[in-house]
Amino acid sequence: MVIKEQDPSDLLTHAEDQVLAAGDDLPQSLWRVRLTLAWKGFKRNWALFAENKIGLLGLAIIVSFAALALSYPLLRSVGPWQDDAVYDPIIGHEAVLEDFEIVATAADVVDPTVQMDANTAQLFCFGAGPGDTCTIARQPARPGPDHILGTDPLGRDIASQLAFSTRAAFMLGMIAAVVTVVVATIVGSMAAFYGGWIDNSLMRLADLVLLLPLIPILIVMSGLFQITLPLLGILIGILSGFGGTAIVLKSQALSIKVKPFIDAARVSGGSNRHLIFKHIIPNVLPLSFLFMVFTVTDAISLEATLSFFGLLNVDMSWGIMLNIAQTEGYLRFGLQYWWLLVPGGLAVTLLAAGFFFVGRAMDEVINPRLRAR
Amino acid sequence: MLKFLSKRLAQMAFLFFLFLSLVFFLLQAQPGDISNLFIDPNLPREVQEQVRERLGLDGSVWQQWWTYIINFFQGNLGVSFSQFPRPVTEIILERLPRTLFLFTLATLFSYVLGFNLGKHLAWRRGGFSEYSVTISGVLLYTVFYPWFAVIMILTFGSRLGFFPINGFLTPELWRNAPYGGNQVFNQLLLCLAIAGAVAAVTALVARRQEERPRARMIRRVGYGLAIASIFLFWLPQTTMRPFALDIAHHAVLPIATLTLVAFAGVMLLTRGSMLETLREDYILTARAKGVPERDIRDRHAARNALLPVVTSFVLGLAFIIGGGVVTETVFSWPGMGQLLLGATLIEDIPLATGALGFIGILALFAHLMVDLLYAVLDPRIRIQAGT
Amino acid sequence: MKGNGAEAPVLEVKNLVMNYEIKSGMVSAVEDVSFTLPKGKSLGLVGESGCGKTSVALTLLQLQASNARILGGEVILDGENLLDLSPEEMRKRRWSGISMVFQGAMNSWNPVYTVGEQIREAIDLHWRPKPTAAEARAKIVELYQMVGLNPEMIDRYPHEYSGGMKQRAVIAMALSCNPKLIVADEPTTALDVIVQEQILAELKKIQEELGMSIIYISHDIAVIAEITDLLGVMYAGKLVEVGSTSEVFARPRHPYTWLILSSTPSITGERRKLAPLEGEPPNLLDPPTGCRFHPRCPFATEVCVTKEPPLEDIGGGHSVACWNYQMVPETLARGVV
Repeated sequence: MVIKEQDPSDLLTHAEDQVLAAGDDLPQSLWRVRLTLAWKGFKRNWALFAENKIGLLGLAIIVSFAALALSYPLLRSVGPWQDDAVYDPIIGHEAVLEDFEIVATAADVVDPTVQMDANTAQLFCFGAGPGDTCTIARQPARPGPDHILGTDPLGRDIASQLAFSTRAAFMLGMIAAVVTVVVATIVGSMAAFYGGWIDNSLMRLADLVLLLPLIPILIVMSGLFQITLPLLGILIGILSGFGGTAIVLKSQALSIKVKPFIDAARVSGGSNRHLIFKHIIPNVLPLSFLFMVFTVTDAISLEATLSFFGLLNVDMSWGIMLNIAQTEGYLRFGLQYWWLLVPGGLAVTLLAAGFFFVGRAMDEVINPRLRAR
Repeated sequence: MLKFLSKRLAQMAFLFFLFLSLVFFLLQAQPGDISNLFIDPNLPREVQEQVRERLGLDGSVWQQWWTYIINFFQGNLGVSFSQFPRPVTEIILERLPRTLFLFTLATLFSYVLGFNLGKHLAWRRGGFSEYSVTISGVLLYTVFYPWFAVIMILTFGSRLGFFPINGFLTPELWRNAPYGGNQVFNQLLLCLAIAGAVAAVTALVARRQEERPRARMIRRVGYGLAIASIFLFWLPQTTMRPFALDIAHHAVLPIATLTLVAFAGVMLLTRGSMLETLREDYILTARAKGVPERDIRDRHAARNALLPVVTSFVLGLAFIIGGGVVTETVFSWPGMGQLLLGATLIEDIPLATGALGFIGILALFAHLMVDLLYAVLDPRIRIQAGT
Repeated sequence: MKGNGAEAPVLEVKNLVMNYEIKSGMVSAVEDVSFTLPKGKSLGLVGESGCGKTSVALTLLQLQASNARILGGEVILDGENLLDLSPEEMRKRRWSGISMVFQGAMNSWNPVYTVGEQIREAIDLHWRPKPTAAEARAKIVELYQMVGLNPEMIDRYPHEYSGGMKQRAVIAMALSCNPKLIVADEPTTALDVIVQEQILAELKKIQEELGMSIIYISHDIAVIAEITDLLGVMYAGKLVEVGSTSEVFARPRHPYTWLILSSTPSITGERRKLAPLEGEPPNLLDPPTGCRFHPRCPFATEVCVTKEPPLEDIGGGHSVACWNYQMVPETLARGVV
């Protein structure tokens, strides 16, 4: 028996035909049909997605970070950080005053941590000797009621930096993802559809991009240009869009190209452009979204890595938070200054993992073969 | 096989040519003119032109491009700004072995470890151990790598004190050393190369054995010999031994960190690939034949599950090289990656682009090795290549 | 045919019950299946896809999926109940006791080893004492000649074989350990008709020469009828009719058999209307009460809905599980083949 294959995106057209036949109030019903169909498809896929616990965990992580990103403008405009320059993640400054009793002079101390404190004490209470009490303005300050995650070596509030950077991370991820999908979908569809020299040159290019070590190239580029967050997003998007993603989408487009409904559309007089945009691209899109999610993971880690090395032209990001801890020399104290080290690194790891989990779960929705039996 | 090899070599050469062109045009695209770095604007125009001509910056962009490519293949990468007047090639060749050492060992370990663990995970589906190993694998895979490296240093270096926190050697120990660091390091490389060659020959010979008990015996003896050769190599060199040990001691933590992160991806991939292979009909056939479960896992399933894992190496390559750059920087391991980042930060452009070019060669070369390995593993490719 | 009915049967399946455990419940895949296969005879098992015939085949070798639960019954091979064996003992019986020809020979070969290596593996595992390389080689050459393959192909990889050659090689491998019984699950489905004929003829010839027993499994009743001595018809996990092939073909007593035979067009017979088999096979998560065929049966009566019919001998070794088998017309809606 021959199984009839139908372009799933045609369902929409057929439903529209039915509405036409019914002769209802046209524009409104069309929208209603589209929405109903989209909603049905969403519900079906959601049911599959929701079976996957890891996918739900990933989604929960992403939603919490989205809430964190939203919390920054809220806290600054109506919340407790309202108009308080101290909570500005870039130019804010506050030192915490603490009283210390001096027990020894700096020169007698061997432990480097204590020695640093002792040096600070000498600076603040010049001339004070053992037995005196000295008030020191301390930054980085420990987490406390004013600064729930403490302050960084420059006296800036870590919690506000964390929340502020979340927005940047999302923005970067979105830019990279959208650029990847647009580039990869067009490149993959064109390579599959036209074949010949177009396919060949696009695929050689993809080989090259795939082989390129992305981090070293971006490092060198950051030395040559001023790389800002949006530019980085576009760069990552283009590189990922011309590389591996394009290859996978091409093979997907190839498998669609040989389906009967493409022939049917061609026979009924569809132009190449029509075929690519109406039939091939809509069917490649679900897979594209999958790669969108994985691109977000990559973009977040890449940005953090480059910022960690201080290569980007960015005011504040999770990578910068770690960069500051490193350049100011707080790493050698181990976990004693954990609030400098943990929030940024954990945020990068968690958000990247969240998108990765969602991608894995989506992969199982799209590729039934991966589902557990 | 020879035809296959030459075809791949030609492809690689072409890709490298493209890569170099890309690097060159990146240089061209940067704002401003590179000659401004050398030319004092107060000089008379004619002198400016003369300097340009001497630097080879007078011709058209295409001429400059051609010169750049030719120079690269002749090993002429210019002179470093920051370590003036050392030629870039000399600096890179000094650093290259250290990067190769880190990269090769970490790749080898991560693939051997990841493949074997992934194989067992897929085999023993379900259960707590599978779940927890998979979860930690995914966490390692997504962890923010520089941060992870820092935490490894803080834990095993600072807190537990098992390993030095960074660097290539302990300066105090080497102050009056009769050897240079590179000299000892080259001996280390030589020793590893010998052991590796013995192991590789063993694997090849064992594969050709028809009798399985005999193959097993050859493997045992061969791998034993490989390990013994390391000891034999260092036995007579009593004076150099402590210095070699010092370098090796410094290398443990960076290699372990890079391995841990790279292995997670391999493990997850092997698990997926193995799960798919286990559904193949030939696995059922093997079971029906009465093949013992262990042999089904190792000889039938894992052998086939290996193929996509090897293919994916190309994708993993960029990750390991990028990870290598991060590792070298965080651990202050003086290799190509650290060189690249350092040169970029102080805007030593000839050194940075030269290092990038060599990293490209490294990537292409590793890719070629994988192609060859794949041809050995998959008879379908082998036959095609042979005809 | 040689042999007589008094000879001990090579295989006896008694009241085999097997379910698949899935998330939404238990799928009753094999329900109370019993049959006996005398030595040197061949049995055909037919039925729609999903009726449990492959499940029966896999259970014979204890290769059922991990979610399969055998809830009862016996599989007696040469006087030994295979269901009582430990996994290790069962592993030793495979191929030397029962070997199998799988559906889709294309995928039965591991792509990374030569076909010869894979046959050699079976020989090495089961021949005792262990054969020398030369002995094993000689055996493989002999097998290749028997199934009509050029022995030069032994050291080639599976992808260098055509579909028909792969299937012949699969048969060669199935014969390599002189099994008492071969189970051939859709042995020719993926092949084109001419190759199919050749291979089936080859199999029948080999079976007669070696006096082996074979179980053929197929959805195509016409193919099976030509080469088997006995015929069993399965429907929805149950064996509904079993008897000598000629008898079942000439006088089908179960309505299902009658319908599928009636719905098979015949080129040689007279022109006639085909009797359609209406409806869908039942959902085995929740099988129909009574006779599982009753929702689709044109002869169903009240008793069919409430009581399950047993498989009863109606004479001449012909058994049928139907309350109303007497209502089934003596002739098909066409001339007998």
